[in-house]
Amino acid sequence: MQKYIRLVGAVALIGLGVWLWSVLFPSPEKAIRSLLHTLARNVSFSMQESVISRGFKVEKAAGFFTASAEISLDLRGVERFEFASREEISQALMAVANNTSAVKVEFLDINVSLDPDGQTAKANLTGKWTVPGDRDLNAQEFNFFLRKESGTWLIYRIETVKTLSQIAPHAA
Amino acid sequence: MEAATPQLKKPSLLRAVVIGRRPKLTLVRIVLLVALIFLTRQFAILPIRSVGPSMLPTYQDNGVNFVNRLAYFTREPQRGDVVAIRTSGISIMYMKRVIGLPGETVEFKQGRVFINGVPLSEPYVKYSSDWTLAPVKVDPDKYFVVGDNRSMPSIYHYFGETERQRIIGRVMLCKNIFASSGLSR
Repeated sequence: MQKYIRLVGAVALIGLGVWLWSVLFPSPEKAIRSLLHTLARNVSFSMQESVISRGFKVEKAAGFFTASAEISLDLRGVERFEFASREEISQALMAVANNTSAVKVEFLDINVSLDPDGQTAKANLTGKWTVPGDRDLNAQEFNFFLRKESGTWLIYRIETVKTLSQIAPHAA
Repeated sequence: MEAATPQLKKPSLLRAVVIGRRPKLTLVRIVLLVALIFLTRQFAILPIRSVGPSMLPTYQDNGVNFVNRLAYFTREPQRGDVVAIRTSGISIMYMKRVIGLPGETVEFKQGRVFINGVPLSEPYVKYSSDWTLAPVKVDPDKYFVVGDNRSMPSIYHYFGETERQRIIGRVMLCKNIFASSGLSR
């Protein structure tokens, strides 16, 4: 019995060590996933949040982008949006924060692939946003492109992935 | 000299019901059951909840169904199959019907589908449609998928070509279970 307790204790200690190592020295993939989850939290707003709190979150979210970051949004049934700098992204996020009562954003199924140089990466993920009272499922697949600047991963481009390549209506 | 037979203490009824008379065996059974559920879900049958009106009236909104992940182990998707199409993963998928096979030309004319110029019989489409869309030649490694509900404007209905590797399985039941009745919008 004592042997089993020691074995379980040893396994638990090893597991704790591995977990601590992953927390203190995360792999690039884990660091990018963590960054993206933090970004999702910072572009989510609850009804109770004040304007100041939303402003802080928008500022923090904008800090995850490079100065010349580009976003190309091509959502179904919505006009195409393009942003060409961190400033424009920040303004757009502020507009959403000011004009939305509440929204919850999640990034699901994040697949990170690191380029051979280890300085750039691509994250393929599914963005899901939930608005209170809206029964529809709002989701879209995206590619996030990141690069390392001064030791920090920053997003320099976001593009919409066409899971189904939709064709345009044609005049009869 | 006689040896006394050790008296086995009978477990209480509560303990017998909760963890059984043999806790080690119960633990093994629990582990095996969890492993079986995990493997079934990961490789064989995936439970899903369908949301949205794009497959009405065949599949009602907010209903439960299952995806057979082994359906295309020995054969390829066929026309008429309702398939699950993954996005970056399987947390959110699209449920659509295959109407065009690789290499075929798909066209919509006043709501009717034409495959290589031949009208397609679609008994599952119950709502009238006026879609007119330019012919599309389906790529060799893609399938053309669309929902059954063509009553909405085509710009609001997500459909088109999808890569074969995104099709993860075939929807098993021909009707959702535990679905809400009526149209969601």
